Amino acid sequence: MNMYSYILRRLLYVIPVLLGVCFIIFIIFNVVAPDPAYVLLGRHATIEQINQLHKELGTDLPFWNQYLNTVKTAFTFDFGSSWSSKQQISEMIKAGAGPSLTLTVPLFIITFIVSISIALLVSFYRGGFIDKFVLLLSIAMMSISSLAYILFGQWFFAYKLGWFEIAGYEPGFPNFIPYTVLPVLLYLAFSWGPDTRFYRSMILDEVYQDYVRTARAKGVGELSIMFKHVLKNAMVPILTYGIIQIPMLFLGLLLAESFFGIPGLGNITIKALNTSDFPVIKAMTILSALAFIVFGVITDVLYTIVDPRMKLK
Amino acid sequence: MTAVTTTTNIPGTNTRTKPSRSMWQHTFHTITHDKLSCIALLVVIFYFVLALLTSTGLVAANWGAEIGPAYSPPSAQFLFGTDIFGRSVFLKMIKAAETAVAIGLVTSLISLVIGTILGAVAGYFGGIVDEIIVWFYTTFSSIPFFMLLIAIAFIMGKGTTTVFISLGVTSWVGLCRIVRGEVMKHKDREYSQAASAIGAGHYRKIFKHILPNISHVLIINFSQTFESAIKSEVILSYLGLGVQGRPSWGTMIDDSKLELARGVWWQLAAATLAMFLIVLAFNILGDALRDALDPKLKGK
Amino acid sequence: MKMRNILLVLTLVAASALTGCAKKQDASERVLNIVSPAEIKGFDPAMADDLYSGREIAKIYESLLAYHWLKVPYELIPNLAEAMPEISKDGITYTFKIKKGVLFQDDAAFPNGKGREIEAADFVYSLKRLADAKTTANGWWVLDGKLVGLNEWRDKYAKQPTTNYDEEVAGLKALDKYTLQFKLAKPFPQFLYTLAMGFTSVVSKEVVAKYGPEFINHPVGTGPYILPKFDQGKRIVYTKNPTFREKFYPTDASPEYKDLLADAGKKLPLVDKLIVNVIVESQPGWLKFNKGEIDYYSIPKDNFATAVKDNKLSPELSGKGIELMISPMLDLTYTGFNYENKLFHNVKLRRAMSLAFDEKKSNELFYNNTSFYAQGAIPPGIAGQNKDFKNPYKGLDLVAAKKMLAEAGYPEGKGLPEIVYDIPDSTTSRQMGEYFQKQMEQIGIKIKISASPWPEFQAKLKKRDVQMFGAAWGADYPDAENFLQLFYGPNSSPGSNSTNYNDPAFNKQFEVATKMQDSPVRTGLYEKMNKTLAEDVVVIFNMHRQAYTVRHGWLKNYHNSDLNNDIYQYLNVDTAKKEELLKKF
Repeated sequence: MNMYSYILRRLLYVIPVLLGVCFIIFIIFNVVAPDPAYVLLGRHATIEQINQLHKELGTDLPFWNQYLNTVKTAFTFDFGSSWSSKQQISEMIKAGAGPSLTLTVPLFIITFIVSISIALLVSFYRGGFIDKFVLLLSIAMMSISSLAYILFGQWFFAYKLGWFEIAGYEPGFPNFIPYTVLPVLLYLAFSWGPDTRFYRSMILDEVYQDYVRTARAKGVGELSIMFKHVLKNAMVPILTYGIIQIPMLFLGLLLAESFFGIPGLGNITIKALNTSDFPVIKAMTILSALAFIVFGVITDVLYTIVDPRMKLK
Repeated sequence: MTAVTTTTNIPGTNTRTKPSRSMWQHTFHTITHDKLSCIALLVVIFYFVLALLTSTGLVAANWGAEIGPAYSPPSAQFLFGTDIFGRSVFLKMIKAAETAVAIGLVTSLISLVIGTILGAVAGYFGGIVDEIIVWFYTTFSSIPFFMLLIAIAFIMGKGTTTVFISLGVTSWVGLCRIVRGEVMKHKDREYSQAASAIGAGHYRKIFKHILPNISHVLIINFSQTFESAIKSEVILSYLGLGVQGRPSWGTMIDDSKLELARGVWWQLAAATLAMFLIVLAFNILGDALRDALDPKLKGK
Repeated sequence: MKMRNILLVLTLVAASALTGCAKKQDASERVLNIVSPAEIKGFDPAMADDLYSGREIAKIYESLLAYHWLKVPYELIPNLAEAMPEISKDGITYTFKIKKGVLFQDDAAFPNGKGREIEAADFVYSLKRLADAKTTANGWWVLDGKLVGLNEWRDKYAKQPTTNYDEEVAGLKALDKYTLQFKLAKPFPQFLYTLAMGFTSVVSKEVVAKYGPEFINHPVGTGPYILPKFDQGKRIVYTKNPTFREKFYPTDASPEYKDLLADAGKKLPLVDKLIVNVIVESQPGWLKFNKGEIDYYSIPKDNFATAVKDNKLSPELSGKGIELMISPMLDLTYTGFNYENKLFHNVKLRRAMSLAFDEKKSNELFYNNTSFYAQGAIPPGIAGQNKDFKNPYKGLDLVAAKKMLAEAGYPEGKGLPEIVYDIPDSTTSRQMGEYFQKQMEQIGIKIKISASPWPEFQAKLKKRDVQMFGAAWGADYPDAENFLQLFYGPNSSPGSNSTNYNDPAFNKQFEVATKMQDSPVRTGLYEKMNKTLAEDVVVIFNMHRQAYTVRHGWLKNYHNSDLNNDIYQYLNVDTAKKEELLKKF
């Protein structure tokens, strides 16, 4: 099979997966979720109003019809408007993407730089004290709950020490910076551990390859081996690992956004859950599923391009 | 980025040497001869024993009793202080170990069963069966984790069972993927061809011959699922989907979000500490297991 | 070592980024910083049925009437109306003159972008819009069955593709440009209160037509502040409406508010800019207040003990010039029974549960001992609440409770099934649920807690799919009717009567009382009905809460109010004092 037909095949695979995603979403929100009319109509609702609203929302249609509507949404990207705020959902997503990205992109980049630097350092001293200490520290820091980091960090660093803004957000560079530094650092505190460990093992995989031994036997310096050979070769799994995380950037940071009052996509989702705003939740789910699928395809394709050893399946 | 942490320790996909009894001896040897893993193992055993004792009512049975005024700080009398109802935070912390161990065990078992069966069936039979199972888990894993959790809570209502099931059914995908790959490799090995030659059925071949040979993958995965389930319980509690009617570290941390600003830090500290120890122990143990069971990384 | 250097540089970069990340605030700006502790749904007056959306709407939109800012008890005064209406003797016809020269805020929907003058016809349009089934307004209940011909008009067009707003409705007419007339279907004196609610604000049909469904995010009213577009963000910035009419700070006040008259007679609004921060979690809100970034905040329950002792602020807070304000709220918290379940028709069981409920301890744990114990449904400060009445089945008495439970047919809880207690899933609700469970256990009643996220909890109540539940009711207007209707049979779920209590005798009394004008006779009837509810333990009455608010020394004219959603135009900031006080932070 050549590469183009492989890529095409992988791309076409998006369709059945998206249909499956739609089916699960349909089951969740059209079949088992509580009737949204009750929340939307408030505390003085009447039966007549509820029936009227069902008609308006299309929740009185037969199930097959509702499923078709869900599928239509997923393939046309016409998410309609929110039930509670009546805004166009595409507008809401555009508005929320900015704040989320100002959190997740720096976090992604910083985590990547920090983890890879530490991984290089410890692989250089593999088996030594630094290696053991950093490994233990990384495990220790990832053993604490993210909620505990946020609660403590906000109280201690933002309030007690007054180093950061406690909560809030202002759009536009550089206005957002004071608000995003603390959440980014707190997330870094528990996300560098796993990443460092992964990169370390990828680098060590290469360190024990024959070509490294050959190079060393030839008298090439350790540093030059590390950067010229090992890092270059370990880059393949490291980059794929990075790419597969990208879809997650668009989801925003659920806990941090609600604690630090950042109006990102994570926040929009939580708000939608609290107001039974199903079209918004559906849109967020479909989009993130799509992102996962697409980036999955990209990773696979990249892998086959950069690493010819991988067989096309 | 929390979801990333669960997918990090992907064992290498290179071929492995056939595991044997000596491998298990080797594992035991590695763990008991490394001080750190030894301590970690003891910690895990300690928590399991504690959980057993609390569930039989021998320890911390009276955790719900009022032992002093509300929000007393830690002192000689109230180790770890008291909570809003004047209950001992220490006893709650102990009692919550039971919840944590239960969540860890049940979740890992559920994900083990689903992941192994689906993965083995897909890898073994291949073809259309494989296509369907791969489609199923791709679809499943494309939907954000917490959306599925909420959906399950919609169907089942709140409660401890929901926590078990929702964490269990959302954490099998990784294992399923690995098992599928391993089974694919192993089904063409000599030993399994030999098994077919003597007339072993599919069922027998999968469960008697192939699975025992990839058991190290299952064990490593079990320890990972265990610790990440304990961590996920905190997020569930924050979303209001946590366990009810008995203490858990998650609800303790969730409570402390209101208490911290008034200076009540002990509930957060106690729950975080208790959780930290067992998760840390599991992480260390998981590493030791992987080093011992995964010959590729041996000696690194 | 090369690698070490890289790490060193990284550390330095990180460290330098750390310092100076918190912003300094500018104290000289005349701006109010406010918190909304809940998400804002949007700016459609017809949809604003929750307190917090209502407060945002009142910054932009106005109604015919309003509550006087400095009077207790609440007093209705004309706002967009020129004067209080003429009411016919039979209590059926209400005739309003509206103020001349009031302009809609400038918006692209109007010719040349200039807001036009409001007319009586605009009120007719706004109320018809509230009634239009296509609006699916959750404020419809305020008009449901109240005006002659309005329900018929609504029903007629509910099934047709377009609604004809030109068709005249007998009960709702503009007699001329400035005269508006309502005809009620039956006497209902509380009707005037509904004309002070956000639902009945005046909106412009040009704006509704221009923005269609997006109207909810494009508020254009007649009020003191403007907001060009609502983007569902966490920070809403309002600016002064340049075309706001001549409206002045009140010059008279009840004795309680005499000291708030410093700005008497000044043109409203008093500050140029309002910033509303949506902060749902209480930790960040409280911490921000403590740093002086928010002008006032209601004390989170869990910060109370450190902030307040014996109704006085802690020295740490008062040293910063912070002041404490305490005021009763018009509300009721209760533990409800679902009367669809025959089990709860046993009055002795209900009484036993009420007697086993330790209100004192509960007040201490959850309300920091600040709440009043509810004897019945009607909160203090509203006519119909009898100060001398003590509910005989309230206050912890375990002996009596056990005896009552035995009389009910369940000695020590034997034979009684486990009862499911439904609560919303917030941390505090969960703690309250646990406490209720503990209390009932003392007399042998087994309670199972079921916490659900808010939408699901609502759906369960509305579908009558609960056994017992925790609930609270905040007043829509200061009249006992608004609390008694919680137990009026025809209001059963999905209406506001979540208990589905349906007692013919009570229903009849309720119908009689609602038609009566305010009088000692009506108050007497309210008291009697309240007593019946209490003695029958229709629900376990819990608390009437008090609001505990802290404000900074620079915030002027502030006081707590449940119903004055338009408070922001009256507030003022002493910038000199703010600059001085901020130095102490």
